[in-house]
Amino acid sequence: MRILIVEDEKDLANEIRDFLVGEQYNCDMAHTGHEASEMIAINPYDFILLDLGLPDYLGLDLLQEVKKYNPESYIIIITARNELEDKIKGLNSGADDYLSKPFSILELLSRIQAISRRKFGYKTSVIQFGDFNLDTIKKTLQYNNQIIELTAKEFKLLNYLVLNKNRVLDRMQLMEHVWGDFFEEDYDSNYIDVHIKNIRKKLLAYDPKQWIKTLRGVGYKFELTD
Amino acid sequence: MKIFKFKLKNKLVFFNALTKTTIVTLLLILVPWIAGIITRQDTDNELVQKLDKVLALIESDGINNFVDQNAELKSFGSYNIIKAEFVSIEQLDVDTLIDEIQFSQRNIEEEIIDYRVLSYSIKKDGKTYLIEIGKSMEDIYKFEQKLKSYAVIFLIIILFLTLIIDLIFIQFLLKPLDKITKKLHNIKDPVNFDYSNIDSQTTDFVYLDQSINALMQKIEKAFINEREYIGNVSHELLTPISIIRTKLDNIMLSKSLSETDMIKIVEAKQTLHRLTNLVRTLLVMSRIENEEYLLNEKVNINQLIDEVINEINDKILFKGLSLERNESKTVFHFTGNKQLLFTMIYNIINNSIRYTEAGSITIISKVSKDSFILNITDTGIGMIPNQTEQIFLRHKSFGQGIDNYGIGLTLTKKIADYHKITISVNSEHKIGTSIILSFPSTKSDKV
Repeated sequence: MRILIVEDEKDLANEIRDFLVGEQYNCDMAHTGHEASEMIAINPYDFILLDLGLPDYLGLDLLQEVKKYNPESYIIIITARNELEDKIKGLNSGADDYLSKPFSILELLSRIQAISRRKFGYKTSVIQFGDFNLDTIKKTLQYNNQIIELTAKEFKLLNYLVLNKNRVLDRMQLMEHVWGDFFEEDYDSNYIDVHIKNIRKKLLAYDPKQWIKTLRGVGYKFELTD
Repeated sequence: MKIFKFKLKNKLVFFNALTKTTIVTLLLILVPWIAGIITRQDTDNELVQKLDKVLALIESDGINNFVDQNAELKSFGSYNIIKAEFVSIEQLDVDTLIDEIQFSQRNIEEEIIDYRVLSYSIKKDGKTYLIEIGKSMEDIYKFEQKLKSYAVIFLIIILFLTLIIDLIFIQFLLKPLDKITKKLHNIKDPVNFDYSNIDSQTTDFVYLDQSINALMQKIEKAFINEREYIGNVSHELLTPISIIRTKLDNIMLSKSLSETDMIKIVEAKQTLHRLTNLVRTLLVMSRIENEEYLLNEKVNINQLIDEVINEINDKILFKGLSLERNESKTVFHFTGNKQLLFTMIYNIINNSIRYTEAGSITIISKVSKDSFILNITDTGIGMIPNQTEQIFLRHKSFGQGIDNYGIGLTLTKKIADYHKITISVNSEHKIGTSIILSFPSTKSDKV
């Protein structure tokens, strides 16, 4: 998959690129609106990460150009203006998702994956671990065809952990994924521990294996060897 | 002693009325008096002229023509039929000189009449005669009386006329001042100041108006600068924060990282997160101050409370608190910004949870005639009275071992003010806190 990163902050663009390349994506970068405009007109992209706050170009104009020259590509808007109105405007203009700065690159990855699943027409997307089946589209967890009841937040957490398997997720990344921008100070992250405890309890009822590993002072890791 | 304060206009009118009334009263007293003096002088002059005529007649015709020397009563008298005037000449036995004018009463044909009498003695043929010329005072009194009543009517009319004219003129003259005061009255925000120049021919007012306009312009500029500054700074801060954040995320992904290094990075991320929240909150506050949020969404407040509870319920459960809800069944719609209203209610409940270790959070709402009251009560640590006044100020919180860098309540207050929602706090130390929101309802809000 080919991704275009439109971001005037070179440092930030580089970091995102490094990460996405590590995730096996092909990445191009544009640091100005004009550069981006040219690249969009010439190359086909699967994803375009678009910073709306470009100094030389109106982000929404660029969005129109994408729709014109690259109608097949998916757009994730990035902006420092954390505003619902911007979000609505962007989404109305054809963007597929929206991230406000600063965002977690894991969150970015999960958005890209979610859009891929949605747009590339996967009817089911089931991830298996042990005898558990996690369906990311139907949002269900089953153990040998037996449905395990999870709350919406618990599912979201488990899903995120599973998608980022074998990777350490700190509490804040988890909080951000579950609560979005609401959560305020870090005392809130204790609630993640309670949620994890509940998920573990539900998994343990079927399977004695500790799937979620605690890293003291850091966060959690879902361990799954292929 | 209470000192009453009046508008300049009223003071001027009052002062004018006072001075005019004084002058008119004085005139009412003086005019008849002066008129009396003048008429008396006129009468006296007339009498003197008549005396001259009589003297001339005596000179030419001889005294004997008037006074019969053979008669027993050596005198002469003449008066006209209405007894308005009389002339008398009589011989005096004593040799005294008389020359005077005085009031005196005379009996003429059994009628006593007030006269102004000129008495004058002359010597003729070795004898002394007294000439008296009288003029009836009745006419004079009548004239004086008439003059008095006319003067009273005239002066009162003048008094009222001038007062009305004064009033109108003062009103007209001070109209620009009224406009200036009105302009100053209407200031809620320097940005909304009406800069149109007032129309006046009075240089003082024009100068005053111009000075106020110039000053307001300066204040407005400073205001806007400050707002934009906070807005821009917040905005500009988010990009570098984002760079650091992404870098730290990338480092975390490195397989070679030791556990201690990882803990340090997570701590750095936590600090960065605090910074992010601070910047984001400042950004929202500066947007509220800039009135960038549109207040045009019709929000179902009952439903909004449900959404907040839905989002925050886990925290209540995890902390072992009970949630009690006693809410109005009547649907209340409020026109505002849903995102901000959500944040406001969320922050209040979140804060209640934060400062409550055991007990309950109670949410009560009721619709009254002109408002919707939302009361959020906790059984938390409460506050001492001094703190209650300060909780909505920036950077004041009362953490007791708990993190205390929240500006959440400041934001809450800002959102409430922006929506004209009144927010009040009742708190008792170690017993709990109640936050009461009162949403004003307008006709369009009712369904």
